[in-house]
Amino acid sequence: MQAQQVLVIEKDSVPLFRGFQVSFDIVGAAQKALSDYGQYEGALRVNLRDKWFPIVEIGYGMAERHDEVTQIDYKTNAPYFRAGLDINLMKNKHTDNRIYGGLRYAFTSYKVDLGRQGLVDPVWQWDSSFRIDGMQCSQHWLEAVVGIDAKVFGPLHLGWSVRYKRRLFHKEGDVGQTWYVPGYGIYGDTRLGGTFNVIIDI
Amino acid sequence: MRPNQIMKGMKKNARGLRLLPLYLFTLLLLTIACSSIDCPVQNVVATIYKMEKADGTADTLHDTLSILTRRSNGILDTLVNNSTNTTLLQLPVGYTNPEDTLLFEVTDASGIYSDSVYIKKENEPHFESVDCNIAYFHTITGVRLSSHNVIDTIIINKTAVNYDLSTEHFRIVFKAADKRGKN
Repeated sequence: MQAQQVLVIEKDSVPLFRGFQVSFDIVGAAQKALSDYGQYEGALRVNLRDKWFPIVEIGYGMAERHDEVTQIDYKTNAPYFRAGLDINLMKNKHTDNRIYGGLRYAFTSYKVDLGRQGLVDPVWQWDSSFRIDGMQCSQHWLEAVVGIDAKVFGPLHLGWSVRYKRRLFHKEGDVGQTWYVPGYGIYGDTRLGGTFNVIIDI
Repeated sequence: MRPNQIMKGMKKNARGLRLLPLYLFTLLLLTIACSSIDCPVQNVVATIYKMEKADGTADTLHDTLSILTRRSNGILDTLVNNSTNTTLLQLPVGYTNPEDTLLFEVTDASGIYSDSVYIKKENEPHFESVDCNIAYFHTITGVRLSSHNVIDTIIINKTAVNYDLSTEHFRIVFKAADKRGKN
């Protein structure tokens, strides 16, 4: 009688807690250096069995712009927060490189300084300049994230993410809309965004 | 699986992963670099006046109508110049004045008749983007006449003055020619 071949599915012996990672986003810092707005952002991601990665992202967004054409002054800076979960999409989950998909819930509360000096009523010619300081605003939004995390050497990883953002709730004062929302970016522009992260395993 | 098959698979995975940053970098550049300026195409803020008869039906003012206002420097500015067969008017609104004063002048066979219309309003600046000019929106709070030489009545139909010009803000009833000049 031939011996029967038995397929045994072994239980994953990798422990639940596999350490955590800290990361820093370079895209936001580059935006800040090269344009009128940007953000400094860091993240803490926990590794659970190389499959699930709860993550918290904290950043500080800033914008200051004087538009030469419209002569509008806009200034804001405030922290923002995101919390979510990434899932490793790789078939072999225990490699050093990962492709992940995830969701984030994000929130910011910020104040805007907005002004337009030298505005003249075109008919009556009255000076119609205005300035609003400290206009209180807030926004909640969701992000769907797809990214990669590739090991360079030792604990150092580099990674990219592409994000699709969707606004949920918002409050923008009495003057219409706001332009730059810390953590979200320019509202009304594309809903896509991205990060390039330097990641350290801890 | 044999070890060399496993290694082949891992090398294939690693090659694919090395190319992924390039694809994602390209996608990232395209998405982040793309921006658009979405200022409203219809960005005129004005008040609409509709001519009506006393029974509420639409009317046409056949006589010559001119509308003037006084600028901040005291000079009279003409907003409407010798309009005839007028059914609708679109007039500008003062950005920050709490009350606009408009002089309606009607010329007919027997002379020139005029009334001043005072429009009381609240004014709010409206912002959409640093790339779009600031506008002022208004809420009309009252309207009155200095006299009733040529205008019988003027009533507020819509108080919100913004980019929406589809509905009239004021309905104005002009006096018949034989009743003008009599208050």
